[in-house]
Amino acid sequence: MIKMTNVKKSFGALEVLKGISLQVTEKEVVCIIGPSGSGKSTLLRCINLLENVQGGHVFVDGYDLTNPKTDINQVRTEVGMVFQHFNLFPHKTVLENITMAPIKVRKWPKDKAEEKGLALLKKVGLSDKANAYPDSLSGGQKQRVAIARALAMEPKIMLFDEPTSALDPEMVKEVLDVMKQLAKEGMTMVVVTHEMGFAREVGDRVIFMDEGYIIEENVPSKLFAEPKHERTQAFLSKVL
Amino acid sequence: MELDFTTFIKVWEYRELFIRGFFMTLYLTSISVFLGLILGLFVGLSKLSKRKLVYWPAKIYVDVFRGTPLFVQILMIHVAVIPSIFGIFDRIPPSAFFSGIVALTLNSAAYIAEIFRGGIQSIDKGQMEAARSLGMTHNQSMKYIILPQAFKRMLPPLGNEFIALLKDSSLVAIIAVNELAYAGFITAKSTFYRWGPYITVAILYLILTMALSQVVAYLERRFSTE
Repeated sequence: MIKMTNVKKSFGALEVLKGISLQVTEKEVVCIIGPSGSGKSTLLRCINLLENVQGGHVFVDGYDLTNPKTDINQVRTEVGMVFQHFNLFPHKTVLENITMAPIKVRKWPKDKAEEKGLALLKKVGLSDKANAYPDSLSGGQKQRVAIARALAMEPKIMLFDEPTSALDPEMVKEVLDVMKQLAKEGMTMVVVTHEMGFAREVGDRVIFMDEGYIIEENVPSKLFAEPKHERTQAFLSKVL
Repeated sequence: MELDFTTFIKVWEYRELFIRGFFMTLYLTSISVFLGLILGLFVGLSKLSKRKLVYWPAKIYVDVFRGTPLFVQILMIHVAVIPSIFGIFDRIPPSAFFSGIVALTLNSAAYIAEIFRGGIQSIDKGQMEAARSLGMTHNQSMKYIILPQAFKRMLPPLGNEFIALLKDSSLVAIIAVNELAYAGFITAKSTFYRWGPYITVAILYLILTMALSQVVAYLERRFSTE
């Protein structure tokens, strides 16, 4: 589903990704953990080319994203993304947030998009908020709307960039529950997270990143119980 | 020269000039604002471009038109730029009214471009990323996500710019466009009454600017409740 080979990315003189190779297969849930500034968000953003990569290749669903001839917009319709700060459209209602891309990009008729949108709102437990504006929602509700918005495009892959980091602690669970449900339904997911509990419980594989490298990857039970690399050990001893 | 009532009787005799001037000012400003908005949007977007060939002409344009007096621009455009351009094609240059529109449009577009640029830049870049991540093109994201939000923030400075342009349009009197200030000027010159014509002109401008600020305030209220 996703294949990255020797991906490099710099911001000016700062090299953030120093040759990342990674594969994600269909229906797999991969969690990326690591200290701040390790490059994990940048790595995620390279998967839908919100960041241009400077070296290596990124393949998504068979498309080579680094080939200039690839229609990036087409690929992005297959890759949903959920952001740390939600990035809901404040001038649109909750339902309009969800139906906008299907109507404008997929060219669905309005009633089909709304039907889909309402079904998704039901799924994330926010049926009563369809006509509310994002500003009137709590953080947890906003993030659930953001997930519904991404799902409305019926993507094959979902990317989560620290989806619970900006939330009050009591709202983390409602978002993680939606994500667990998605994982259970077989969605291919890549999740950058600080929620070790989630990574352990839901992840098929956990990747530990530090200073622009993938240091270690393994199934969660192994990685958390017996990390091999000393940097992984040091990180886990601080967060667990 | 005393301020006495006969001065206003003179103005009344010349009322047609003032009425025509009043509507001419309104007309001149409306057209210039409309054209300035369109041109300003493109210049503003160009100033946000990463491509140097797009960015630099826009930057130079804005710097020149904001950095020189409108008065000088009006004169140059009317007596030099437009006659030369029409000279190339062997045509007679159009009226002073045309020159006035061109000067006011080019000038206001430079200010409006900066308002657009500022408005667009004030929108969190996560909005663009979210729109793009959903597969929307750059243009779609601008049209449906960024510009509607930016427009709300641009309304107060745009309102100020329109009011400023309305007042500055009086400068085209120098090239004899028969707008409001010119009506006052002509009346004062031909009747030797000075108070009446200019007080009348000032009051008419005040009526126009106050009406315009009411419209802007109404639009701000309407857009902020959405």
